[in-house]
Amino acid sequence: MLSTLHHPPRRLSRFFPANNKPRHFHTKPVLSSSQPVTDQSPSSTSPPESQILSIRHSLLSREVTATQLAETYLSRLKLAEPQLKSFIHVSNNVLKEAQSIDDKIKRNENVGPLAGVLVGVKDNICTVDMPSTAGSRVLENYRPPFDATAVKKVKEFDGIVVGKTNLDEFGMGSTTESSSFQVTANPWDISRVPGGSSGGSAAAVSARQCVVSLGSDTGGSVRQPASFCGVVGLKPTYGRVSRYGLIAYASSLDVIGCFGSSVADTGILLSAISGHDRLDATSSKQVRVLQISVSQEVPDFTSQLISAALLESKPLKGLKVGVIRETLENGVDSGVKSTVLGAVSHLEELGCTLSEVSLPSFSLGLPAYYILASSESSSNLSRYDGVRYGNQAAAEDLNALYGDSRAKGFGSEVKMRILMGTYALSAGYYDAYYKRAQQVRTLIQKSFKTALDENDILISPAAPSAAYKIGEKKNDPLAMYSGDIMTVNVNLAGLPALVLPCGFVEGGPIGLPVGLQMIGAAFDEGKLLKVGHIFEQTLQGCRFVPPLIADGIPQ
Amino acid sequence: MGSRGLLLLKGAAPKHHIFNNTKGSIFSSKMPTRYYYYDYDYNNRTRNCSTTTTRSSLEPPDVPRLAQTARISLTPHEVEEFAPKIRQVIDWFGQLQDVDLDSVDPALRADSETGYLREDIPKTFKNRESMIAAVPSYDEPYIKVPKVLNKE
Repeated sequence: MLSTLHHPPRRLSRFFPANNKPRHFHTKPVLSSSQPVTDQSPSSTSPPESQILSIRHSLLSREVTATQLAETYLSRLKLAEPQLKSFIHVSNNVLKEAQSIDDKIKRNENVGPLAGVLVGVKDNICTVDMPSTAGSRVLENYRPPFDATAVKKVKEFDGIVVGKTNLDEFGMGSTTESSSFQVTANPWDISRVPGGSSGGSAAAVSARQCVVSLGSDTGGSVRQPASFCGVVGLKPTYGRVSRYGLIAYASSLDVIGCFGSSVADTGILLSAISGHDRLDATSSKQVRVLQISVSQEVPDFTSQLISAALLESKPLKGLKVGVIRETLENGVDSGVKSTVLGAVSHLEELGCTLSEVSLPSFSLGLPAYYILASSESSSNLSRYDGVRYGNQAAAEDLNALYGDSRAKGFGSEVKMRILMGTYALSAGYYDAYYKRAQQVRTLIQKSFKTALDENDILISPAAPSAAYKIGEKKNDPLAMYSGDIMTVNVNLAGLPALVLPCGFVEGGPIGLPVGLQMIGAAFDEGKLLKVGHIFEQTLQGCRFVPPLIADGIPQ
Repeated sequence: MGSRGLLLLKGAAPKHHIFNNTKGSIFSSKMPTRYYYYDYDYNNRTRNCSTTTTRSSLEPPDVPRLAQTARISLTPHEVEEFAPKIRQVIDWFGQLQDVDLDSVDPALRADSETGYLREDIPKTFKNRESMIAAVPSYDEPYIKVPKVLNKE
């Protein structure tokens, strides 16, 4: 198995820059007695293994059946769900689909690389046999007549869609609190938000309610919840994954992304869903494809990841890493900052050459992002008029039908963003807002390009803080928006970014995870995954398994 | 409502002048870019005496009017609740007016390849029944809506 470490790396001694608080590692987590958690001995801080490869191994060696696996996950899902509320809908077909995989294996037929893998799907990604609401009343009970291309590919590779995960309505939010249906809790502390907008997908993987999940990332909606929930989140390059069937929010920024409990799983899921699609003109035919491939019978991911023996010393020798200065300045929680600086030291230990880079237009990215996103949403969401699908209000005339259907269907945050976007796009205002924001986007693209010409990857925190309390920022839009500062610029530039847990800060029963963001050049996901994998496999003293897990984790 | 929504926006030019100085009243899409900077300098001087960042050059959002344009029937309570929040965010958007963007081209999206438009050949969607099943009010072969014309 690729992740087995035969030679544990030497202890890292230079983790703490002189003026920073020590990191809060939890080698012996304090457990809340009400939560049955297995396998939490100190020796269990071994690096995360690929669940996908481990499932494949167990299935093909007949150690376990897909049905047994699915039952384990489903029972854990159901146990955790009353507290977490990660899912808006759970599929009724999971066991049936698992059975058909078992039948194939029995008949010695080939099974796809995602065989038996339970995949959560964010509810703004269309699924033909399940509701797809985007977290909005306007689409309550809506069943799309087609699968999104990403979902279709998951199914083609024999993955099992376990259900639809909760989100901020149409992806507009950073906490999952603005879902019209329910508030999802953070598995590390159920009084806190899981982040958003893909909070359900992140919480579900964190609590092992599914193996991997799909999310979407318009301004950080995969990466920030990955950070809050202590899982790996990947935002691919704009154009890497088809968006056919992704319910549009801001089309110049939206991408479908992946969550996993290890870098390997996240990469395998990404390679499953990547590629050009004739139904999405923005999807790339880029020949510089992912170095990982799942198109063959057995994923050859292992060949791309560094084998255990190579991890002994300096496996990342010569890799140039730029630390984005603006992301560690004022406004960043001191615990987050010191944890990320600890990760910087870890990268140095692995042989990377670290330097500081400055992106002068960084702070402009936030208002530019919100202008573009709200403007595009006002246009994209004009389709929800109650006429062809979605909920319709009873009305005397057509204009009242539009107005009332939309008034009843949309929540407050969505209404406000549509109104702001309507303002910014109004005749005479376009040049002052939308066009200016697009000009800022050019500046940001250029500054990233310069920084990535000089560095292999750039790093920053994934969010300025760890998960905060439910309700804490709900009524202050600017406070909520400012939490997206670490991620929105990457969407404006269309670059790929990987977030992986790198440590803890104090909070909740056993601490709260902190995510490190690694940003790469366009279509350079392969490098991010390789660096992320080595980072993850050599990180010591951290185990990113939340207290809220109903039973043991099948390894 | 897709394309119609956009047309509505274009047609919804504010009746008032965009700039409250005389130069600005000729604001149009054809106005040379440097006008902004002229205006920006002007504003900057006036703004020196105040720390609040009210953008005097652009009218603040009129929430009921925006709601009408966006076809969302708001309750008076919602107008009251949203107006200060929207104004706060729009005001915050205004910081981009202070940035020197002369000669910077706008970027429509990420700098990735485009041009994979498929041939414009109609194809029959297979799952037609499921699509029709989603229509709230259907009377073969029509989608029904209430009356379109309003006497007012």
